[in-house]
Amino acid sequence: MMVVLLILSFIMFMIYNLVPSNRAYTDARTEVQSYKKGLTEEQRNQLFDELYLKYQRRYGTDTDNKIIRYLRWIGVYPLYDGSYNGLLQGNFGYSYEAKDEVVNVVVAPMKNTIFINIFATILALGISIPLGIICAVKKGSKLDQGVQIITIVGYSLPTFIFAILFIWIFCSILGWFPPSGMKTPGSNYTGMKYWLDRLYYIALPLITMTFCSLGGMTRYVRASMIEALSMDCIKTARAKGLREKVVIYSHAWRNALIPIVTLVVGWFLGIFSGSLIFEQMFALNGMGDLMIKSLRTADYDVVLLMQMFYVMMSLLSNLIIDIVYGLVDPRVRVNK
Amino acid sequence: MSEKKNNRTPFHPLNWLKRAFFGGSKEFADQMENRKKDDVNDVEEIVTPAKQAFRNFMEHKLAVAAMCVVIAMFLFVFIAPLFMTNYKDAYTEVTQKNVRPGLDMMSVPAELKNNVRMIDSYGSFSVGVNNDGKVFVWGDSVIGTTKIDVADIPEEVLNDKIAMVAAGIDHVVAISEAGKVYCWGNYKLGQYIKDPDAPRDNPNIAYMPDELLNGTIDVSQIKKLACGYQCSAILMQDGTLYLWGNKNTYANFNNFLSVSGLTDIGFTINYIVGLQEDAKSVYTGTRGLFGEARANLDQKAEKLSSFLGKRTIESFTVAGVNLCLQLSDGSICFVGDFRSNLVPAPVLPEDEYFVSIAAGTYHYTGLTNKGNVYSFGENTFNQSTAPKKANGASQVYSGAFQNYAVDDSGKLIAKWGLKGYLFGTDSYGADIFQRIANGGRMTMTIGAVAVIISSIIGIIIGCISGYFGGKVDMFLMRVTEIFAAIPFLPFALILSSLMSQMTLSENMRIFIIMVILGVLSWTGLARLVRGQVLVARENEYVLSAKAMGVSAARIAFKHILPNVISVILVTLTLDFATCMLTESSLSYLGFGVNYPRPTWGNMLEGANNSTVIKNYWWQWVFTSGFLAVTTICINIVGDTLRDVLDPKSNIDK
Repeated sequence: MMVVLLILSFIMFMIYNLVPSNRAYTDARTEVQSYKKGLTEEQRNQLFDELYLKYQRRYGTDTDNKIIRYLRWIGVYPLYDGSYNGLLQGNFGYSYEAKDEVVNVVVAPMKNTIFINIFATILALGISIPLGIICAVKKGSKLDQGVQIITIVGYSLPTFIFAILFIWIFCSILGWFPPSGMKTPGSNYTGMKYWLDRLYYIALPLITMTFCSLGGMTRYVRASMIEALSMDCIKTARAKGLREKVVIYSHAWRNALIPIVTLVVGWFLGIFSGSLIFEQMFALNGMGDLMIKSLRTADYDVVLLMQMFYVMMSLLSNLIIDIVYGLVDPRVRVNK
Repeated sequence: MSEKKNNRTPFHPLNWLKRAFFGGSKEFADQMENRKKDDVNDVEEIVTPAKQAFRNFMEHKLAVAAMCVVIAMFLFVFIAPLFMTNYKDAYTEVTQKNVRPGLDMMSVPAELKNNVRMIDSYGSFSVGVNNDGKVFVWGDSVIGTTKIDVADIPEEVLNDKIAMVAAGIDHVVAISEAGKVYCWGNYKLGQYIKDPDAPRDNPNIAYMPDELLNGTIDVSQIKKLACGYQCSAILMQDGTLYLWGNKNTYANFNNFLSVSGLTDIGFTINYIVGLQEDAKSVYTGTRGLFGEARANLDQKAEKLSSFLGKRTIESFTVAGVNLCLQLSDGSICFVGDFRSNLVPAPVLPEDEYFVSIAAGTYHYTGLTNKGNVYSFGENTFNQSTAPKKANGASQVYSGAFQNYAVDDSGKLIAKWGLKGYLFGTDSYGADIFQRIANGGRMTMTIGAVAVIISSIIGIIIGCISGYFGGKVDMFLMRVTEIFAAIPFLPFALILSSLMSQMTLSENMRIFIIMVILGVLSWTGLARLVRGQVLVARENEYVLSAKAMGVSAARIAFKHILPNVISVILVTLTLDFATCMLTESSLSYLGFGVNYPRPTWGNMLEGANNSTVIKNYWWQWVFTSGFLAVTTICINIVGDTLRDVLDPKSNIDK
């Protein structure tokens, strides 16, 4: 896994190096320009060259060797003055737009994203799992057929269409929720009122997100439950005279859990990338919004860090899936 | 029972099993064939798995319907654009922004049809008055986000006898036979004064003169009533000019507030134009405008003064960006800006000349002394294709993109031009229906190419990895893992954003987007194929193939691959929908295909604010509808295919 992470970080870094941006050059430029006008053209050029070299050495771009640059970025190859300053030393880069360390820039949106996504995930799981189970148990019934149709629509449509649709229904027609934003503009609530205001603004994105993730999840739960219900052990359990509830929730559910776990864990990540669209749509100050903003303003240090964060998340979820597998299904033991 | 089961297993294993057990296959095959021929009733009919799958598929009514829809969509997006010869990606039209869907722009009300006094239009609606003095409004008459409907004609106008009307972009001016001036429609930018008591202190508005607001004017003395973009003008015979409206819409508005002695006035899109008594040039109050004339739309321009010579300008007709001048010798000429590919004015015989010319936004319609009607100028909506039956008219009216020919008795004998927009227009004024057709082609092409790329990579890697196993498998699966760990949407965003930093042509960019989509989405398929191949290669027929000395590659691709084809087919279908969605999301976020080139995703980009969502529902409903129906149907087909091709889920049913 570490190898995968390393290779990916290398690929990412190389891709970002394709961008024709030269931080040392711009920094030296601004500094030269900030000097008073007393300098002649020659002095100016000389000063610029000096500063340029200084900044290049500081940022570790004084070599054209991409590999050395990469190693410096990671923080395992010394800079010109022999010091290390890379990811491992906690230097995550510098945001031009915010004029601040990337880490500080990312914190606030990250909080928002996590805040919303936790709600959305809990809500979606809370609805889709029982719904999937009911549909599987009552397979072929009217309810099941209805849910099947709704869910196929649900997972076939791009999320932004739902967002548009929900804004239309809830904001334009019913007027229940504000269409965008995080809090009432100009307000400065504290305590309970702050949270209520926040929930009021988050309600619509939350509903939309939950709804969007219902489709695929419900179908998946239903499919794996149906498979589990057709197992021999269920017949045995029923023949034993166990109560239907016990059969479903204890015997069948346990067996259906394995594929579901895969999805649930992978799905945390899905919500991260899905929130790109939602945050854009509802003007929420989250990770996705930050990412798009940074991309638009070519603030690539931020993007690079966020990309690494996404990669980490996905690798982490792989790991968690493996571990949870073992917990859920004792037959699976990863012992390689 | 066993026979039945055999039917379901794919064809090749059957064949190989037979070979494995019975040796020579030719005789056996013949034998089977003969048996089939001899007693069909005895043994169940043997059908190929493909046939069987097809039959099963046909049993699912919903899937068949979905399949039809998908095919229809394909045909629509690939064939319909061929008929839209006038379609241009970057088409914009300022007077046709946000027009509601409908085909009623030329549907003249029945009461007006046989009794026309005059018809006028400027934007998306037309206004007409009949010989009884009754006013009618048709077309898309609801003004933008204001909810003001021009078709709500005020009570006093309906009760009065109207002599003349003129339509602006969002308001109507009518003058009654008694000389009272009525206005209705949008009033917020000074088009007219709705509340006489409201303060009139906006420096950007020229307010409607008091004598028009409270008094009356002599109708017989009115030389011209004209409306432009949020402006109106009344020119009297004695040269008095009443001009009011939004000053910001015309750069030379102020010049006209002080000018006197005009003999004609009109509004182009950007300038007010007038004609002074010397009749040697077009008066705009600004130098260098409309200074070059051309004898016809397809001829070279020369200086107006030298072109005129001794002739003078009798009158002019004003279109959007150019003017048609009627000269004192009965000929016409054109001044202003001209696009290419215009329908030129006809060369008239010696004794024929234009008696009156009407103008739309980009075209003119002329009526000659012999009653012939000719249209010339831009022909995007066939507004310059005058029908034969229009000949014999005694009056022609044009406005925006429509033409009406009326005979002596006031009967409407022909109308031609733009009927309306089936799906409305977007915020640039382009027809959404045409953009949907053209955008669909782009969306589907991107989806298809991306799927082809991803499946080629996926199949090759899956097959190799599954068949060879061991170290190769190990390595390839690590590669797959790397690709699978890349979060899809953010990464695609970054790549396309990086691409926009480079100088690439739009076609190249689109191709790279396809490649990105393809390269990032093959991992699922590769794993699936690998799993299937791992199972398939343990089968006896593979063993026998090996025993017969068939090469490894041949076994992998020729013997094993056909057995996993069903899985591939299903994944392909579902992936196609996914790729379309991803492309749409990318374009929607502004990182895919860019405006003006349409795709279903970037057409929805304009709909990401609540104003558009609320007021211009047609700008997103139709596009998302098309996208939704297509992807839903593809998914239904894919799901059904899986049910049909996968024997396991068949048993489940």
